[in-house]
Amino acid sequence: MPTVKHAVIAAAGLGSRLGQGKPKCLVEVEGVKILKHLLAQLSEVEDVRVIVGFEEKAVISELKQLGRDVIVVRNPNFRSTTTLHSYTLGCQHMSGDCLFMDGDLLLEPASFARFLAACEPGAPKLAITQTKTKDAVFAITEGDQIVGFRREEPTEYEWSNIAWLPVTTFDTIGNTPVYEHLKAYLPIIGHEIVSYEIDTAEDMRLALSHTDLFDLKALAS
Amino acid sequence: MYRADSPALEHTFTTSPAGVPGQKQKTAFAFDLDGTITKAELLPMIASELGLEPEMRLLTELTMAGMIPFEDSFRLRFAILRTAGLDRIRSVVSEVEFDPDIEAFIRENRERSFVVTGNLDLWVQPLQERLGCRFFTSTAMTDAHGHVTGLDTVMRKNIAALELKEHFERLVAIGDGFNDVPMFDVADIGIAFYGIHSAPDALVSVSNYVALDGKSLCRLLNTL
Repeated sequence: MPTVKHAVIAAAGLGSRLGQGKPKCLVEVEGVKILKHLLAQLSEVEDVRVIVGFEEKAVISELKQLGRDVIVVRNPNFRSTTTLHSYTLGCQHMSGDCLFMDGDLLLEPASFARFLAACEPGAPKLAITQTKTKDAVFAITEGDQIVGFRREEPTEYEWSNIAWLPVTTFDTIGNTPVYEHLKAYLPIIGHEIVSYEIDTAEDMRLALSHTDLFDLKALAS
Repeated sequence: MYRADSPALEHTFTTSPAGVPGQKQKTAFAFDLDGTITKAELLPMIASELGLEPEMRLLTELTMAGMIPFEDSFRLRFAILRTAGLDRIRSVVSEVEFDPDIEAFIRENRERSFVVTGNLDLWVQPLQERLGCRFFTSTAMTDAHGHVTGLDTVMRKNIAALELKEHFERLVAIGDGFNDVPMFDVADIGIAFYGIHSAPDALVSVSNYVALDGKSLCRLLNTL
């Protein structure tokens, strides 16, 4: 039985920096929607919850079509709240640890599988990836620990927006970016994966030049 | 003329083994029936048996689209279907398939699971017997021979929800239709169910969760 029983995917945002006018989880890469790609990586996780907001109907229809028995959690205040709020809604009434991730990621399956396999109860962990863009949250590391985050002065690694944390981490929150909230819980162990976040058109171009990493062909229909 | 005598639907909250009289219990679950617990809508099933499918479909579409208030719609449906004898209707109703996961959840949580349906008490009695939990329904009037003579009350789901809130600290409502909106309005947690069809936008807009099948719905209910 895998350790990771719960996963929360935040897919409520407007994705306005990418400018495709649809939720980023519905953006297609090589004919595969990011949402389908992410759910494929979570096939062993029993309880997957997808937080919806912007264009929720389209995301719900896509989920119904994908046929995976996920739970949809609504964040009606997606326009005025950060991903932090989606994480809180997503893990409400849960106990123990949960995997939290953004819905706009492309993952190299093998490295993500290693991250999942290394998750242990009561041992928080953040996924980091080699720095690719200037507009990232850079991780300040000491050995295998992440001791800080910053937006200026790139370091070797950026945070992947994937975290394995006790659900109590999101009990009381403000309305800050997730990494600001997590600063209070540092140091946390960092675990390197290969991932690409799709925030901007530039991110998209970069990811498109590495599509062989994401094993999308198997999912294309 | 007097109200239908249906003792099987009666229920006193204080008899619950988990409850202490005068003290609220923790969480109750209020389920819609048609298309949520049952895998088919009951009224179209009955209509099909009577050869009145097109009439019933038109009414259903207008009601689902919010063009006819549920109460008026139910009175019309009742007028169409009452021509069939009670035994015939019950025999159709009793054959309906339940979602297996939801049925199992209700059986395991009988004392805090409730069915809140616009359907008529006398028509859905076989299902009440199968599930073994309390039903809140529309009610019929009968004559001394047990024949249905008219409608007594048409279910307003917020009324049932408010009654449940008097006995439970928290109410979780599960449904798939327009007439569930008032129940979600009263409930603490609303779960729109995409079982046999998608839930209307109006219901989704007042819900906290959307469950895409019975299995994930019950997994969620077990964490609440």
